[in-house]
Amino acid sequence: MNELSPLIHSFWYLLRGAAMTVLMATSAVAPATILGILLALSYLFGSRLMRSAIIGYLFLIRGIPLLVLLTFVYYLMPLTGIDLPPFWGVVVVISLYYAAFISEVFRAGILALPQAQWDAARSLGMTRGLMLQIVILPQALRLAAPPYVSLCVSLVKATSLVSIVGLWELTMASREVVERTLAPFQIFIGAAAIYFCICYTLALYGRHLERRVLLGH
Amino acid sequence: MPFDPHFIARLIPALLEGAEVTVELAGLTVAICLVWGLFVALAYGVSGPLSWVAGAYIQLVRNTPLLIQLYLVYFGFSMAGFGLSGFASGLLALCAQNGGYVAEIYRGGLQSVSIRQFDAGRALGMRRWTLYTTVILPQVVARVIPPLTNQSIAIIKDTSQVAAIAVMEIMKITEVWVETSANTYDVFLGAALIYLALTSIAGVVGKLTERWLAFAQ
Repeated sequence: MNELSPLIHSFWYLLRGAAMTVLMATSAVAPATILGILLALSYLFGSRLMRSAIIGYLFLIRGIPLLVLLTFVYYLMPLTGIDLPPFWGVVVVISLYYAAFISEVFRAGILALPQAQWDAARSLGMTRGLMLQIVILPQALRLAAPPYVSLCVSLVKATSLVSIVGLWELTMASREVVERTLAPFQIFIGAAAIYFCICYTLALYGRHLERRVLLGH
Repeated sequence: MPFDPHFIARLIPALLEGAEVTVELAGLTVAICLVWGLFVALAYGVSGPLSWVAGAYIQLVRNTPLLIQLYLVYFGFSMAGFGLSGFASGLLALCAQNGGYVAEIYRGGLQSVSIRQFDAGRALGMRRWTLYTTVILPQVVARVIPPLTNQSIAIIKDTSQVAAIAVMEIMKITEVWVETSANTYDVFLGAALIYLALTSIAGVVGKLTERWLAFAQ
């Protein structure tokens, strides 16, 4: 029991860190999703210029680590005099980063629909906006849901990186406790267990959605 | 002052030295994970306790952040009396996490092979080893190259996180140079360009392998 006492004593502190992690992840996932859908639609239906701009954006995001961008913004904000609270600074970076991956998932979902769906909607005289709204997007979003949920898991894990630029959440909280208690094994396993509870719940939900897609509901 | 040629002349060799560490770390991780992931995927496929252990391993590593795994290995092991160097800890954590992802990629590939292929092989009286090496795995390899390429790109980006345990790869060198020179823009631009070059090379190698395999079959 003695071995576990550092973890038991600091567990409440770690849970407060986890609440911050969840708050950060949910604040980032909403704008990332909206931007992701907009990027996917502009890629598919926008002008050629728009399309090349998005391809360039995806290339940059796919090739540069999130940590590099987070650190860049951390050093950049004082230089440019942008007076944003650090919390919102990292939320903006994480949303912009994940919007790129989310857009690819939604684009794949839209492209996976058979051409007959478009033809059927057009033969009913629908405008493109209406087609998207009531025929294409409802089906495409359902197809894209399982990979979208895996991206959400990845986003929750990625919030741990903000501890490197000095923000307080679960990973930072666990490092603080380790410095105080000198019990890295117990504390980091505790933190990993909390992350696991959050991410595995999401992953199970994703698997449930996947099964529904495969069954065709 | 940004874009000072004398500064850039000193910066580039330093960043390239970091790139060497990044490439070593990412290359070793990819090589080890290709073997380890296949082992885990095959273990998951057989029935019995081995499958249960492989499944638990996959879920555990995929649903906890790499950064926590890094801290656990680096600080935890040294506390337990067998400390590993930063590089070795980074390699271990990167392989542990990505082994789970690569195993899932192989599993997807194995599942995509029709059950009739297994039946046909068995009907010809093949032993399991012959069946796998001559019929099943050649088909799996061709299908897993694109997702494995993406995973390799993710691994290159993930190596930036070992900066947190003071391994002198690109990210850590970037931090050191920004702190000491205050030439934020140059240093980050250089780091971003090197990461983009490395991930693009990985992408091209993946595409070439894909084409070569399609040609060979």
